Amino acid sequence: MKKVIVFVILIIIIVIGYNYIYQDHRNVTEEQASYSISALKISEEFFNNPVTSEKKYLNKTITISGLVTAIHKNNLTLNTKVFCMLTKTQFSKINSKIKVKGRFIGYDDLLEEIKLDQCHIIKQD
Amino acid sequence: MIKQLFYIVLFINITVSAQTKYLTKTGTINFEASMASFEEVKGINKSVTAILNADNGQFAALVFVKGFRFKNALMEEHFNENYADSDSYPKATFKGNIIDFSSNPLNPNTKLLLNGTLTFHGKSKVINGIALKINKSQNTISLVGEFNVLASDFDIKIPKVVKDKVSKNITISFDLNLINNTNK
Repeated sequence: MKKVIVFVILIIIIVIGYNYIYQDHRNVTEEQASYSISALKISEEFFNNPVTSEKKYLNKTITISGLVTAIHKNNLTLNTKVFCMLTKTQFSKINSKIKVKGRFIGYDDLLEEIKLDQCHIIKQD
Repeated sequence: MIKQLFYIVLFINITVSAQTKYLTKTGTINFEASMASFEEVKGINKSVTAILNADNGQFAALVFVKGFRFKNALMEEHFNENYADSDSYPKATFKGNIIDFSSNPLNPNTKLLLNGTLTFHGKSKVINGIALKINKSQNTISLVGEFNVLASDFDIKIPKVVKDKVSKNITISFDLNLINNTNK
């Protein structure tokens, strides 16, 4: 009887341990966005205060609405200021108004752009 | 006075617009600190910004540390929290120069050397003689290469418990496809 209990506990520990070590990646698609903001507003925030803004948004899931100014296979740019890396290719048109959800990874001071990865389009007209 | 200023501004504008700039926002950088026969310790970043001034070979690259993706989510978390401190140091940069770039005709598979300074985890290190494979087509210049750094150069400590699994010698490889972006 005692042996069985020890065995069961061991199995539980192994399962928990395995799930901890091989846990899933965070899923930005399903996460609730911490901030929702327009592309123009957020670029203004970064223009005025790059350091504190970067701290505020770093690694957060945010939704950004704006005008598409450039599209490539796996990325798009909103209002020439917000650069989004898409998880998968999604159709959109230049000059269309869209809303994108993604994770903020940093402010690119070489190009003065806000960079997001793991993005997907959640709404477009 | 105003007239002089006008000419100075005009002159600056002309010199700026004469620069031949090549640019990418989606370059790839991999770093690997794997040890043989253990799970690979490898991060891939596909959103590297890099700019090359084709007139003088000046080169700059910017990487967001949070943008490194790992196969294993826990490894990614540990990388960000315990090793790279990406909350305090979200950026890694490289600034340098490709030697003899402007005078080189850039035939297919040209090999040149890149010298520069890598800043990561708040520490900077001069890295010279990175071998670059350069290919130029009509509108793009591709730069491919790799180099090695030590974790200790950037004040990153590898705990004793994992020292068999995480190499202190780190290989960084990059593949950048820079597109002509000359200011007109």
